[in-house]
Amino acid sequence: MSFLKVLFRNLISGPSTDPFPFGETFTPKALRGRVVYDASKCTSCRTCEQVCIGGAIRFDNTPDGRRFLLWHDTCTFCGLCVFYCPQDALEMTTDWHLSHTQDEKFKMVEHGLMPKAACAACGAEYVAVAPTAKAFAGYEPTPEEVEELRQYCPRCRRKEAAKIAAAHPPAIAADPDTPEQGQS
Amino acid sequence: MSTYTIPVGPLHVALEEPMYFKVEVDGETVRSVDITAGHAHRGVEYLTTKRSIYQNVTLTERICSLCSNSHPEAYCMAIETIAGIELPQRAQYLRVIAGEIKRIASHLFNVAIQAHLVGFDSLFMHVMETREIMQDVKETLFGNRMEIGANTIGGVRFDLDADGLAYLDAQLARLQPILDDIITHYRTNRSFIDRTRGIGVLTHAQALDCGVVGPVARASGIAYDVRVKAPYNAYDRLDVPVQTGTDGDVWSRAIVRLSEARVSIDILRQCAADLPAGETGPRERQIIPAGQTVAKCEAPRGELIYYVKTDGSPNPERVKWRVPSFMNWGALTLMLAEAKVADIALIVNSVDPCISCTER
Repeated sequence: MSFLKVLFRNLISGPSTDPFPFGETFTPKALRGRVVYDASKCTSCRTCEQVCIGGAIRFDNTPDGRRFLLWHDTCTFCGLCVFYCPQDALEMTTDWHLSHTQDEKFKMVEHGLMPKAACAACGAEYVAVAPTAKAFAGYEPTPEEVEELRQYCPRCRRKEAAKIAAAHPPAIAADPDTPEQGQS
Repeated sequence: MSTYTIPVGPLHVALEEPMYFKVEVDGETVRSVDITAGHAHRGVEYLTTKRSIYQNVTLTERICSLCSNSHPEAYCMAIETIAGIELPQRAQYLRVIAGEIKRIASHLFNVAIQAHLVGFDSLFMHVMETREIMQDVKETLFGNRMEIGANTIGGVRFDLDADGLAYLDAQLARLQPILDDIITHYRTNRSFIDRTRGIGVLTHAQALDCGVVGPVARASGIAYDVRVKAPYNAYDRLDVPVQTGTDGDVWSRAIVRLSEARVSIDILRQCAADLPAGETGPRERQIIPAGQTVAKCEAPRGELIYYVKTDGSPNPERVKWRVPSFMNWGALTLMLAEAKVADIALIVNSVDPCISCTER
């Protein structure tokens, strides 16, 4: 008979379901929804493509540059691409409104283009992917110094990074009391 | 009087997943049962060898949605053993948190279905409504209601800040009194007890013979829990009282599950209190060397064993898993012996069979 109490409480408290689609529904901030891509941050390392179980992510080369494609109809929303992206170029939004009609199915794609450009140093045509701090071999560059490399082709990037790194020789610990960095 | 055969399944209103029982009945009484499997076979084990070690974290999570944390957890444990990766302290506790949240939701789902099969639909609705608290916790902390994506090789993918811990604590405080109330209903309600007590009995000796695991074994009085017998993650530092029953019937199995859900709340609180600071795991991938190992964890349905063999290439050479339902559904032939036809669905659901896991 004690269950009658539960039934009575339910009568008073009313429905516990959300009034969707006539009202708002529960959408937490961490929800793994539609993926958005920022081509300006992407180095085209293809980590996302390699960890994607569904094969939803593709890179291909077009006359305009390198194209990123994320096919939402194949995406499992596991978020591994976002987790492993070293550049934070991929982000998951809380947008879960992904139902669509059959004729819209080819539009459920996230596109991005890394455009082709002419190298500022040698003039060769190259795909202007985002530069990384890795090119500086040991030297920790400022974000501006990293960004500067964007205008160069891969070969000239290495040269320019070496020039910048050479201008900042590694600080030698003059004080013997200073503990060495990087020792575990 | 002659016997005749009733087919139950593979598509049947009382079964949640496709499974085929050829039941030989004499009047209302079951004389023998023949179980035919294979209706949900998708070739996932083969597929794991065609995908990379890192892709498989997601693939193993999608074998089954109710144990969707245990599969990648055991898989990651195996890969970590092969590669000699030590899990950070914080990640060990966070893995326990993810596992226990999933356990509460999984157990509540099963006992809810049990009430539904008894015909007590108000109780079914009430338990499912209570389970929504844990579903919301999963959605808020991990971003999905079922596929929580908590594990990664070498750590976890989520972190709990002060807000997250406060939210978890508030939701547990909300859940606990309702769950205690539900346990009282399952223990005292005549409609439920009359349909479930003394039904589908698996004695202690039979349970040992069948090698059943998880709540099915514990309801028959076998105090076997991987979290205690072979502690992994942070379980060696946590207090995990093993819940056992004595009767081995449908009712005992429901009560063991409810008690375990209650214990999980305490484990979650211990984890939240003891959660060490530090790293949660690497965000870079590494090369996994050649090797083979076995890893096991306590899934909501019982002991889940993973065997992984790698050869130094990006793809694993072999991944094999022994799921708890594989051990438990063999015992169904004993539980269904001399049962009434109307109790078949009740007894089948009481072992919480996960067909997707078993047939992959």
